[in-house]
Amino acid sequence: MTLATSPQTRKGDFDLQKLANICCERMATEFTKSGKILAPIPLPIMEIIHEAESVVTIWLQVPAELAAAYKPGQFFMCWNPYDAEGGMGRTNFNSEKPYSVGDIKIDRTGIDETTAADEGNVGNTLMGFTIKDLGRQSGELTRMSKGDWLALRGPFGTTFPTPTSGSTLVLVSGGIGSTPMHMMAREARNKLGNRVKIHAIMGFRNSSEAHYVPRMEGLCDSLTITTDDGTQGIHGYPTQPLEELLQGLDSDNCTLLTCGPEPMMKPVLEMAVTAGIDCYAAMERYLPCAIAVCGLCMVGNRLTCRQGPVMEGDWLLQQSDFGQHHG
Amino acid sequence: MAELGVEVPGLALANPLLLASGVQGGTAAALHRVAASRCGGLVSKSIGPVAREIYPGPVCVEATDSVVLNAMGLPNPGVESFTEMMNENNFSKPMLVSIFGPDSQSVADIAKKMEAAGATALELNLSCPHSKPGSRALIIGQQPELIKEYISAVKQAVGIPVYAKLTPNTAQVSLEAGAALEAGADGVSLINTVSALEVDPYAGRPIIGNLLCGMSGPAIRPIAQRKVAEVALAMRRGEIPTAPILAMGGITTGLDVARFIMLGASAVQIGSALIYGDVDIFEEIENELTEFMDVQGYPNLESMRGIALDSMEGLN
Ligand SMILES: Cc1cc2nc3c(=O)[nH]c(=O)nc-3n(C[C@H](O)[C@H](O)[C@H](O)COP(=O)(O)OP(=O)(O)OC[C@H]3O[C@@H](n4cnc5c(N)ncnc54)[C@H](O)[C@@H]3O)c2cc1C
Ligand SMILES: Cc1cc2nc3c(=O)[nH]c(=O)nc-3n(C[C@H](O)[C@H](O)[C@H](O)COP(=O)(O)O)c2cc1C
Ligand code: FES
Repeated sequence: MTLATSPQTRKGDFDLQKLANICCERMATEFTKSGKILAPIPLPIMEIIHEAESVVTIWLQVPAELAAAYKPGQFFMCWNPYDAEGGMGRTNFNSEKPYSVGDIKIDRTGIDETTAADEGNVGNTLMGFTIKDLGRQSGELTRMSKGDWLALRGPFGTTFPTPTSGSTLVLVSGGIGSTPMHMMAREARNKLGNRVKIHAIMGFRNSSEAHYVPRMEGLCDSLTITTDDGTQGIHGYPTQPLEELLQGLDSDNCTLLTCGPEPMMKPVLEMAVTAGIDCYAAMERYLPCAIAVCGLCMVGNRLTCRQGPVMEGDWLLQQSDFGQHHG
Repeated sequence: MAELGVEVPGLALANPLLLASGVQGGTAAALHRVAASRCGGLVSKSIGPVAREIYPGPVCVEATDSVVLNAMGLPNPGVESFTEMMNENNFSKPMLVSIFGPDSQSVADIAKKMEAAGATALELNLSCPHSKPGSRALIIGQQPELIKEYISAVKQAVGIPVYAKLTPNTAQVSLEAGAALEAGADGVSLINTVSALEVDPYAGRPIIGNLLCGMSGPAIRPIAQRKVAEVALAMRRGEIPTAPILAMGGITTGLDVARFIMLGASAVQIGSALIYGDVDIFEEIENELTEFMDVQGYPNLESMRGIALDSMEGLN
């Protein structure tokens, strides 16, 4: 068996699962010590799944306690150490960028279910990052392969408020903003079962980019899809069905969460504020360092990496630099 | 209660806690945010002749306990856009404007523009270990002759005080401090980051996008203290001109500040600690420092300045 440093130079006979276990243990030690992963730790990609046109999910094996500590809205910095364009003195692009966790699953393949309970064998925890090819770095990530390294540090940032029993959640996503909305729906359903109502609206440019629809269908009381070009669901933006949805809801005990491009989130938050509904947005800004040193992630007088990405809707609406497109 | 105010050339500070250059301080919004904290003053991001983009990430990480590694690549908006920003903004705290440039003429030119835009003092970043991308040559701050050339050029160009920011990556920092002060610098700031490198054994390559990096954070504090003491002792012995020292390197607590003041510093700068406590760290440090001084009976900074040097008089 070979555990070569670079995925490109690995021999065909190397044991991916063994490598994943070792890296996962290493991450667990670091997580126990610091409560988060401070320096990037590379993990081998266990699986990479096509979700939709230019959208993939990268699955990584992580310590169960790290996955359990992750809260929807938070992000990890994801870095391919063998980024083709990375290296000394190169500017104008970033090879490490923030991504929210999109999904978490337990892999029980190879486990003998008859003895698993006695042996305390709960399987491997996998964390999925769902990535849309929007540019240089995300494009690079979507073209990675099983066995390649993806280094993570995190989790960083703020989370959405915890839903309470008897409450209603309205989740509005645009494009790849689907990831934190799915994690929120998943957590709320896991914790509260049918004691929470979940209504989701997912906007996409067209049907071929639509992803996470089956996942959300299984979790939500209602799910509405919109596409800019009408190729799936309602023809238009998420704001159209939102108007109708909000009219039928009791604003008490209702919370709206949104994630997507700022030009979409702004009208969504305005509608929620008008309807008297508590609302929060997960901001997708450029976060070069994620640890409050570069100062390049300001929204209003806040640092997105530290005081975000989840921020209160009414506060965001007062910021003049909120609502435009950002890279 | 202990009096924390201190005056150094160009800056009247309500307390000795300045933001260190390069941490959060590159834009108006970020500088206002830091100014709203309990810091005594600001040091801007180092500003160069033209805008520079940030290096490929990871640009800054906590590598292990107390070790911060960075290679940001001196991202900055450039002097034109920064002076425009200065003209449009009034900050609630005094600001030392940090500048750098590829040659002495360009730095002198930037200095002039900063003075015209209202800067009351400048810090000349001579010491960034990664200021010349791709270059393996020595940096300016490692060459006393070049330090003199840079400082003289800037002092000729402006009337406001100039601080020389020194690198720890030399054999004897008092030589560089001496060169800067003899050329007319009004004070010295030290230390900049310690030249460093970290490799991930699994990936088999450095963990910072730029490969080489600079180290800061609590782990470098003893190194910084050694360097500050060396300069302060050289001043005491009259080997180099006496001038205020702005000390930094790994400060996270009020006691750390006391340590540097006792080694002769007039004021301190705080950078990496913002990773742990963001801008709220200034209030924590200020409270700790006040409490310490009250308990120990130091009425002001002057009363404890340099006292730790007394036991080291004979040191070289
Ligand atoms: C907290 C947080 C969580 C995130 N979670 C995810 C996630 O789960 N999945 C995911 O795929 N991405 C996510 N992102 C976005 C991601 O970090 C990158 O910004 C994005 O992948 C583009 O990077 P790039 O280098 O490929 O694009 P660049 O080369 O920098 O940009 C290419 C082009 O795409 C445009 N663009 C970039 N980002 C966006 C955007 N968000 N919306 C619309 N246009 C854009 C730019 O304006 C530019 O024109 C998240 C961002 C943040 C801050
Ligand atoms: C992310 C980061 C960026 C920095 N950028 C600059 C800079 O632009 N100019 C400069 O003179 N020093 C820069 N420094 C060095 C700091 O000002 C300071 O000298 C050093 O970090 C030691 O202090 P600390 O341990 O409190 O951070 C930077 C340090 C860090 C961590
Ligand atoms: S990303 Fe650098 S300060 Fe927020």
